[in-house]
Amino acid sequence: MALPPAFLEALAAFPADLPSTDAADLARYGTDWTKVYTPNASLLLRPRTTDDVSRLLKLCHIHRVGVVPSGGRTGLAGGAVAMNGEVVLSLERMRAMHPVDPLGQTVRVQAGAVTEAVHQHVAEQGLFWPVDFASKGSSQVGGNIATNAGGIRVIRYGLTRQWVLGLQVVTPTGLVLELNGALEKNNTGVDLRQLFIGSEGILGVITEATLKLTRLPEKVDVFLFAVDSLQGVLRLFEAARQGPFTVMAFEFFTDKCSARLEKHRGLRPPFEQPSSHYVVLEVEQAKPGALDAWLSMLFEKGLVTDGTLAADLGQAKALWTLREGISESLSATGLPHKNDIALPISRLSAFCVELEALLAERYADWELCLFGHIGDGNLHVNIMKPEALSKAEFLERTHEVDRDVFAVVQAHAGSVSAEHGIGLLKKPWLGYTRSPTELGIMRQLKAVLDPHGVLNPGKVL
Amino acid sequence: MPLKILVTAKRVEDSESKIKVNPAGTGIVLEGLKFKINPFDEIAIEEALRLTAKHGGEVVVVSIGGKEVVEQLRSPALAMGANRAIWVNHVGPMDQLGIAACLQKICEKEKPDLCILGKQAIDDDQGQVGSYLAEALGWSQATFASKEESLESEAEKSKAPAIKLSADGKSVTVVREVDGGLQTIEATLPAVATTELRLNQPRYASLPGIMKAKTKPLEEVTPASLGVDMTPHITVVKMTHPPARKAGIKVADVPALMDKLKNEARAI
Repeated sequence: MALPPAFLEALAAFPADLPSTDAADLARYGTDWTKVYTPNASLLLRPRTTDDVSRLLKLCHIHRVGVVPSGGRTGLAGGAVAMNGEVVLSLERMRAMHPVDPLGQTVRVQAGAVTEAVHQHVAEQGLFWPVDFASKGSSQVGGNIATNAGGIRVIRYGLTRQWVLGLQVVTPTGLVLELNGALEKNNTGVDLRQLFIGSEGILGVITEATLKLTRLPEKVDVFLFAVDSLQGVLRLFEAARQGPFTVMAFEFFTDKCSARLEKHRGLRPPFEQPSSHYVVLEVEQAKPGALDAWLSMLFEKGLVTDGTLAADLGQAKALWTLREGISESLSATGLPHKNDIALPISRLSAFCVELEALLAERYADWELCLFGHIGDGNLHVNIMKPEALSKAEFLERTHEVDRDVFAVVQAHAGSVSAEHGIGLLKKPWLGYTRSPTELGIMRQLKAVLDPHGVLNPGKVL
Repeated sequence: MPLKILVTAKRVEDSESKIKVNPAGTGIVLEGLKFKINPFDEIAIEEALRLTAKHGGEVVVVSIGGKEVVEQLRSPALAMGANRAIWVNHVGPMDQLGIAACLQKICEKEKPDLCILGKQAIDDDQGQVGSYLAEALGWSQATFASKEESLESEAEKSKAPAIKLSADGKSVTVVREVDGGLQTIEATLPAVATTELRLNQPRYASLPGIMKAKTKPLEEVTPASLGVDMTPHITVVKMTHPPARKAGIKVADVPALMDKLKNEARAI
């Protein structure tokens, strides 16, 4: 798509290094970790101030130029992909972090601040922003908020939404909104801030945020358990819910996932005997005596076949790598088709029985790599491309699998996207989770804020 | 022939913790630090367990310090599989001569065939105790025990001991790391061996092992009951951080980089 000359002329009013048409830049900034889409961006814009963003969005609106907001581009649903000649608006130069407010336990940061940098910044005050996942070294605050990111400690802390007090947002017409400041309580009409959290960049561009912080967790224990079935994982989860501690994370993975991790990085679970399912359990402030009794009970009742407790921080890190390294190893050793589904926790057991039966019956020869958070109802269903199939054939066949899987998800009142969002990848399936009436209201909201439909076009709706 | 092996388990600061020197420059700030077993000692325990798994026998683990060292004796040491523990209860300053003297007295009573110690501890990096102990007992010593196979090899996966017992049970063969290569020595028993990082990959303590460890025998002794005077001969006078690295700079282009490499760094 050729950009309108008047739009390009207007860019002359900005610093010379703000736009870039370098081919390598366009390829890099035009795509995210989803990998299945071919990027085709026509221009990269890297503003330094909210005023830059406002003026740029206004220009896009006036000249009807499609614009894709871009953070760390670690998304897995194609939400940050520019494949139709759009302009990419990267927030990476806006990464300033203000000093922490230790009394209010808040920090104001720009949207381009990298998640891990925020963690390090606030840890100096003994504080923690509990939005934490494997891609934290690249993901940015703005993207985390725009996708209402989840991760490994949702069971303890909830989603990103719970940890955002205030937002500065630029609407697609260039209006700058200051929403909620640093207020914990503010019951004054419709909370517009919540509209933008998880909207995947279709309603506005987040430029700054006031983050809510909490104390760093103390005395954390990390366990790895071997379990013999998916139903066994759920039984162990039930036991963990009643354990003498606060559950920080409850993650599981199958032997298929660990085999990929071993192939890629030579890492494997530290047990004598291999097992079909593994669980990483992280707990805070376990009561020592009661913990022993709880662990003995696990073995007496046969809830686990083996287990280990990290003896030091290095072992804790190594146990976590067995789970957190999976996504990267799947991509490094093959082409995974990813699904990220959520079920009400009470329906997980029945759903898993049906899912396993469906996959065994219809796709017996496909390699299924199952892992996930489970403690918050979230399963990552990864299907690996068989060697014999071409990429195109594979993508076509996965569409059939998705339809079958999502029908089961719908029957159990689940979600087709637990934490990755809808983006481009899950668009065909949005109707399995949201009603036509809901979708109608979403479209009306979009039209109010973005009358020309220039912001992140084609995503979600 | 069953082997009786004595191993050590020093409690050290967890290297993943942030270590800070105290304002007086006399030691490190202990508040908020996490602790673990010295990784070289963990390797010593693993090797002892592999040897007794093959030949039968007993592994006795020793630690010196206040009551907090019992934590490392129970897990990972006993939890990994050591049979029993001896805790030398001592609070206060000590140095390597005092530590070696305690171990000597314990060896004279326990009469192990082999002592395996970490070649050094990761906290003070002194690396003296193994040699003092061998000297005090008049035993042969095999320092820096390593092995020919890599840590990814089948031999490592099968958990075969790298220290090999001779057929008559009177000596051990030890592969040592020397500058640029390996040296194989035979040492007459009783002997003291110290471990390199490449000797083995220690197992994780299993949960059943951790629970069983809570009831394994743990004997408490003191330097006084062993007849050892712990008055140090060495005191730490000063501790400092290494100088902070200067921040990097960005150069404009390749010629500017070449210029800096040539005229400032003199690297080319």
